[in-house]
Amino acid sequence: MADDGTASNRRDPIKSSVGNVAGQRRRQQAVTVAKERRELLVRAKRLCRVGTNGDVEDACVENEMMIDEEQPILEAQASKAVEELKSAVQYQEKGAMQKRVIALRELRRLLSKSEFPPVEAALSAGAIPLLVQCLSFGSPDEQLLESAWCLTNIAAGKPEETKALLPALPLLIAHLGEKSSAPVAEQCAWAIGNVAGEGEDLRNVLLSQGALLPLARMIFPDKGSTVRTAAWALSNLIKGPEPKAAAQLVKVDGIMDAILRHLKKTDEVTAIEIAWIIVYLSALSDIATSMLLKGGILQLLLERLATSKSLQLLIPVLRSVGNFVAVDPKAILTILIREQNTEESIVGVLAKCLRSEHRVLKKEAAWVLSNIAAGSIEHKRMIHSTEVMSLLLRLLSTSPFDIRKEVAYVLGNLCVESAEGGDTKPRIIQEHLVSIVRGGCLPGFIELVRSPDIEAARLGLQFIELVLRGIPNGEGPKLVEGEDGIDAMERFQFHENEELRVMANSLVDKYFGENYGIDE
Amino acid sequence: MFVRRRRKRILFEFCCSALLCHSCGGEAMAMGMAVDTVGELAFPVWNPIRRRFPPDSPFFASGNVERELLAKQVALDLTEDEINHLQIIVETESRRISCPIAGCRERLKSLDHFEDHYNARHTASCSVCSRVYPTSRLLSIHISEAHDSFFQAKVARGYDMYECLVEGCGLKFKTYKARRRHLVDKHKFPTTFEFFKKTQLSKKRRDKLQRQHVSKLKHKEDKEEASSDAMEVEDKASGDGLVSALSTLTTADTTPSNVSFGRRHGRGLTFVPRSVHREKRTESSSAPGPTN
Repeated sequence: MADDGTASNRRDPIKSSVGNVAGQRRRQQAVTVAKERRELLVRAKRLCRVGTNGDVEDACVENEMMIDEEQPILEAQASKAVEELKSAVQYQEKGAMQKRVIALRELRRLLSKSEFPPVEAALSAGAIPLLVQCLSFGSPDEQLLESAWCLTNIAAGKPEETKALLPALPLLIAHLGEKSSAPVAEQCAWAIGNVAGEGEDLRNVLLSQGALLPLARMIFPDKGSTVRTAAWALSNLIKGPEPKAAAQLVKVDGIMDAILRHLKKTDEVTAIEIAWIIVYLSALSDIATSMLLKGGILQLLLERLATSKSLQLLIPVLRSVGNFVAVDPKAILTILIREQNTEESIVGVLAKCLRSEHRVLKKEAAWVLSNIAAGSIEHKRMIHSTEVMSLLLRLLSTSPFDIRKEVAYVLGNLCVESAEGGDTKPRIIQEHLVSIVRGGCLPGFIELVRSPDIEAARLGLQFIELVLRGIPNGEGPKLVEGEDGIDAMERFQFHENEELRVMANSLVDKYFGENYGIDE
Repeated sequence: MFVRRRRKRILFEFCCSALLCHSCGGEAMAMGMAVDTVGELAFPVWNPIRRRFPPDSPFFASGNVERELLAKQVALDLTEDEINHLQIIVETESRRISCPIAGCRERLKSLDHFEDHYNARHTASCSVCSRVYPTSRLLSIHISEAHDSFFQAKVARGYDMYECLVEGCGLKFKTYKARRRHLVDKHKFPTTFEFFKKTQLSKKRRDKLQRQHVSKLKHKEDKEEASSDAMEVEDKASGDGLVSALSTLTTADTTPSNVSFGRRHGRGLTFVPRSVHREKRTESSSAPGPTN
């Protein structure tokens, strides 16, 4: 069959070679695919186009756009390739290994082209048992590699296709061992990563088959693409939401050191995967959290936040910081205060994220700030005394809804002391409340009251209550009225949520009741 | 002389989170007790707490999607523009907001759409007194009860004129109070509910409404009302007043709602602007619109 990519290494954008209709269809497919991915949250399967042995020739195959009409051809070819493989496997004579490799390579190429490789056809033709056979111990490296590669791409598609890999798992895991050649181990890790990314059931299978330990060991070296792939696969394996995989990982000797080491020094692409491991560890394992904190992870995270420009890295790093802060700010109080005046002070770094153009960074940075602001009075003062306040106020008026909601949490948390027991009413910090209101936050909160989102409306009403109660000289009601606050609260009259209706009503009754306006 | 009304309030369980507690949102009421608490505000005040989310929480969904979409760049070789375009498509198509007005089934694509929808469908306003209602049915009930002297005449003769506000119930009552009692008893409206109250609108709101209605209100009365302090509903049963009241029933102000009611049983609608009392009128008369 023709090796389509031999013409050149051109990487022309698909647009120019196919034309607009196909472009639209591609977009539509991409939207559909993107939606599916979103529904499954992070499936994180990756199609392997360039082999771990750096097979460059196939790089140019990446950009071949398969139009629908060509799909049946591809499928037919896949079936044929599997048949070839079958006979190659059965062949016992001299040169058998060569035959097998050639057949495997053919299948692999078919599975590495377009975005939609002919996996189903290959499976129906019975590819899996053959591929498993090709993974047997003692097989030559090339055979192992090609076989693992095929399995990788089979696993990168639909759920049932990924599940088809079950018979192959024990062998894939076995070849992660330190005796395997690096490219082979890496390719197996890749396949396992795809399987782990599919769902919790498969993750449990992998765990029970002992995938975690060898995978974890693969990230001990200082560098190499193997580290990156293994880290990615590992992050898929521990992502939970069940914490047991994370708990297992914590027990691996030396793993925390490796993680800290990589976070500090490694290139950004690997750091991305390490950062995601940290995200899951910090969310799922308290032991890991305290070990990492003791190891100084916060400083390393802040450094990355301060210096990196890669959104893919910033997201997991920021989220890790958020997780650490959410767990126990008391434990990091001393660090926070101490760091206040350094370059990488936490508030400064978060301010950088708030200034970013990326929505996710703004939203999650505000979330982190809100958790810091929920801490002690020192934490609140720490935030309130910096330039981040003007940023927050601006974001409250101008940014998209989900960011505004988080910013609202920050501002509100700054104005109220955290209550000790469940009985005492939390005290208002008048100084903060006054300055924030003076900074022009009321319209933003009243806007939240108008929103259809229940949580946001609740926040808005709660803040209005603070203003009504806490602004000195009884000026609160006038301020609220001046910004159409009464109007906004009246909107709740016909809202279907009973709690909100009553909240709004009680405020209006108490502060804009019978005697309001009489003295004027 | 004032009689300060003693109100029953439902005492909230102290909700110690700024995070919405879905489970207790509606039940807080049930768990609380009715207490006479004039002057004390039973309200879930703001209490700062740390919010922690599990890794698969929808809170992180957009961040996770970023990871995926960016990863797809390699696979599909999309241009920067296409990625942005894609993100917009994915996000807008999947995120829809349900209109929270009881009985309305609309799902809107964005906050802007929601605002438009709200203004179009849930702001039926009375051109006589500028009160706003979320449905045309409520508006027309209001107009009958507040601005129609024929209505008052029939009440005076003992007919059951006050309709239950919950669509589909169908019951009618002789007095405003009796209907109110029915709403509280049978339909679980708050005990402080009032469909009609004397209101004082803030200057800002009066100005805004004035501007909105400038083209429609040619009536001398309206100008008087707009400039006076209290928007008391004193509808004269003069010929003029009656004509204007009747004519408002056919005005375009009453935007027909697209919703066919009666679909939802039970919850119905609650109270109307209860901003301010200018002066206390005893409620014993219960006739909102005095007739002369």
